[in-house]
Amino acid sequence: MARRKWGKSWRLKPRPEAPPIAVVDTVKNTVRIVACDSHATSFGIKIDQTLSDARALVPDLECSQNRPEELKALLASICEWCGRYTPLVAWSGTDGLFLDISGCTHLFGGEAALVADLEHRLKAQGFSARAAIADTPGAAWAMARYGRLAIVAPGRQREALRDLPLAALRLDETLVIEMAQLGFKAVGCLIDVPRAPLARRFGRDLLRQFDRAMGDEDEVLSPLMPVAELTSEKRFSEPIVHEDDILGTIDRLATSMQPLLQRRGLGVRRCEIKLFRVDGQVCRLAVNASAPVRAPKRISALFRERLAALHDDLDAGFGFDVLRLDILHAEAFDEAQASFDAPRNHEDEQRALIDRLGARLGTDRVRQFGFADTHIPERSFDLLPVLSASNRAGGSLPGTVTKSAWMSEGTTYGLTRPLLLLRQPEPVEAIAPVPDGPPIRFRWRKALYETRRSEGPERIACEWWRDGRGAYSRDYFQVEDMAGHRFWLFRHGLYQRETDAPRWYMHGLFP
Amino acid sequence: MSSQRRIADLSGIVRAHAPVSDRAPLGAEVVDRLLGGGLVRGALHEVRCEHVREIAAASGFLIGLIERLHASSGRVVWVADPATSLDAGTLFPQGLAQIGFDPARLVHVLPHDLATALWAADEAVKCRGLAAVVLQIRGNPARLDLTATRRLMLRAQENGGFACMLRQSAEAQASAAATRWHVRAESSAPPGTLSTPSAPRWRVTLEKNREGRTGEWSLAWNSECKVFEHAPETRSETCSAENSGPRLHAPAERPGGAAQMGQVVAFEAAS
Repeated sequence: MARRKWGKSWRLKPRPEAPPIAVVDTVKNTVRIVACDSHATSFGIKIDQTLSDARALVPDLECSQNRPEELKALLASICEWCGRYTPLVAWSGTDGLFLDISGCTHLFGGEAALVADLEHRLKAQGFSARAAIADTPGAAWAMARYGRLAIVAPGRQREALRDLPLAALRLDETLVIEMAQLGFKAVGCLIDVPRAPLARRFGRDLLRQFDRAMGDEDEVLSPLMPVAELTSEKRFSEPIVHEDDILGTIDRLATSMQPLLQRRGLGVRRCEIKLFRVDGQVCRLAVNASAPVRAPKRISALFRERLAALHDDLDAGFGFDVLRLDILHAEAFDEAQASFDAPRNHEDEQRALIDRLGARLGTDRVRQFGFADTHIPERSFDLLPVLSASNRAGGSLPGTVTKSAWMSEGTTYGLTRPLLLLRQPEPVEAIAPVPDGPPIRFRWRKALYETRRSEGPERIACEWWRDGRGAYSRDYFQVEDMAGHRFWLFRHGLYQRETDAPRWYMHGLFP
Repeated sequence: MSSQRRIADLSGIVRAHAPVSDRAPLGAEVVDRLLGGGLVRGALHEVRCEHVREIAAASGFLIGLIERLHASSGRVVWVADPATSLDAGTLFPQGLAQIGFDPARLVHVLPHDLATALWAADEAVKCRGLAAVVLQIRGNPARLDLTATRRLMLRAQENGGFACMLRQSAEAQASAAATRWHVRAESSAPPGTLSTPSAPRWRVTLEKNREGRTGEWSLAWNSECKVFEHAPETRSETCSAENSGPRLHAPAERPGGAAQMGQVVAFEAAS
C-alpha cells in the first residue's frame, strides 16, 4: 500500500513529515495493530495493541486494513523474484521465504555478498526484509526473526541459537507460554536437558523442531516452482529493453546449452524464459515444441513468435537485468540423420509450423480431434491441443497415422452423420404429423423449411450415469428440404413416455 | 539381397519421388475438360456459399477437392476465423470419416481474430508437404483484399501447395484466386424418386476461372471411389452412358444379410 502511495522506492527517500504506518485487523472482537513500521515502534506502538490505544499515543497514525490475500500475492511475486538467486524457493508460513542457496553463492561473490545484495534490492523495491543464512532452514528462520547474526557459520547452530527465545524454534504459541511458565525460556535450556522426559511432557513436536533447527533431522523444502531440467542465465550490468537484444540473448543461451543437451542425448519439448525486470517484476514466457528440438535457431524462433504475440503487452519498464532460459521438459532426441528422403524434411517443417503457430497464438489454439467412447454426438469428439501435455509422444501428431480409429469403422453407404455439428443444439419450431415421425415443416433461425425427404428416427439414449435419471432420449432425423439442404434434427424426449410436449432441435448440417 | 529385389526397391523409391502432375482431375469429365485436365494444385482457390445453411455443402465440396488433390495423405491445416464457428458450428469427425476424409489429418487453427487468421494461413501456405491449407472466413472482410489474397496465391505457387479460402455467407468478390466456386445445395434425387436423402449433391458454379471458361454443373460426391460425378437432374439420359459407379447407395448402418457361417469344425465328444 505504501509502495502504491509513495512509489516503489519510498523507503530510500526521506519522509520527515510522514506519519508512522500500521496495519490493523479485527482480532478477538477488537481492532488491533497487526503490523507496524519501525517509525511507529519508536513511538511505543506494539503489535496486538488495540487501535484506540495506539491512536492515543500517536493521533495521526496512518492505518490501513489488513488484506491477507493481497499480502500472499505480494509474497508470491517476491518469491518469483527470488528465483534470480536460486531456483529452489519455498514458502515459510505466511510471512517469509526459504531460499535453498546451496551451490549458488559463488555466483554472487559469497554468502555475505548475497545477503547484502538481496537486502539492498528488496529495500530498493520498498520492502524491509531480514535475511539469515544457516545450515538448516530452522536455524535460518530463527536467526532472521529473533537473532542478530546474518550468517551462521557451518555447524555452529547450537552456539548461535543458544540465547534466542523458544519461539524461535517455530513452536505452537501455547506451548511456548506453557514452557515459559516452567522456566524454559531460551533455546539453550533444551540442550542439556534429558530428551525422553521432554518428549513425554511436551510432545514430539518440540524435539522435532529442535532437531530440525540443529540439523539432527532433515527438513525437506518443497520448491514453489517446478525445477527446470537445465537452466542457463545471463546477467546484464546495463538492463536490456529491446526485443532484439532479448532474442539475441535467448539465442546465445540456447547455443550454450546445446552441447549439454547433446551430451545427454536430449531435445527440448518445453522451455521458458524468465525476464527479471529491474523493479522486481518477473515475466515468464513458455513455448512448446511438438518434437524434441535442439537447434538454437528453432528455439529462438519460437520465442520470436511468442514475443510477437505479446506486442506491447511486454512492459520492459526500465529494462531487464537477468534473463534465464529454463528447460522444463526434455526428451530423448531422435538422432536421425537428414536423409535424401524428401518427405522427412517436410515432416520436420510441418512440426516447426505447428510449434510456431502454437507459440504465436497460444498452444490451446492449435488443435486436433480426439475421440471419446460415447454415442452422444457432441461428446463423442474433442478438440485437443496438439501441443498438450498429454500429447507427449511425438508420433501422435495428426496425419502421421495412416488410418486412424475414425476410419476403421468400415465403409458406410450414404451418410448418417452431418459434416458440421452446431456448437449447441438450437431449438426449432417443428410440426410433425405423427408424434413419432419426422417434421413436415420447421422454422430454424427465422427461416421456414419444408421437408421433402427424411430418414429416421435414429434413437440415441441419454447417458444416465452422467445425465441422471430424468434425462430424455433423442430421436435423430435426417431431413432434406425442398431446396436440397440437408439437416440433422432431433426430437428431445419420447412422446408420452418421457414427455408430452417434446421439443425439436437442430444439431447439424449435412453436406 | 538379390539384384532383382534391389531394383524393385529402387524403382519404388523413384516412383515415390516422381513429380506429381500439377493438375488433379475431379473425376467428372465435363468439369475436367473445361479446367484443362483438372484443378491446378499449386494455387489459391476459393469456395463460397451465400447462406449459412449451405456452408456444409461448400465444406463438403472443398473436402472433396482436397481428397482429389492429394489421395488420402498429408495434413490439412484448417484455419477458421472465430466468427465462422458461431453460426456454422464445427467439423464433425464422424461426418468427415463418412465422406471419406480421415479426421486425424486435420489440424485446426483457431486464431483470435482475422488478422492472426491471415497470419496463420500465410505461415501454413509457406510450409511444404501439407495436403491443403484452408482459410475459413465469414462474409467479405475488407482486410482480405486483393493484396492479401495475392500473397497467399504467390506463396502457394512457390511451394506447389493447395490453398483454399472457404467463404461462408459471402458475395462474389474480386480476389487473386485461380478459381472461384459457388456451391449451393441440391436435392439428392429427382422429386418423387426416393423418400430418403442419399449421397450429397450440389449445384456447383465455376464463377471464375483464370485459364478459361466458366460453367455450372450438378455434381455428386462418391465417397467410396472418392470422385465427383456429374449428376444432372435428368438422370436417366446420362446415367447409363457416363457413369457406371454406384449411384444409389445402400442405406447406411442397417444390418445387411445374414452373416456367412464360419468354418464348421467337428469336435470330439466331450466325454
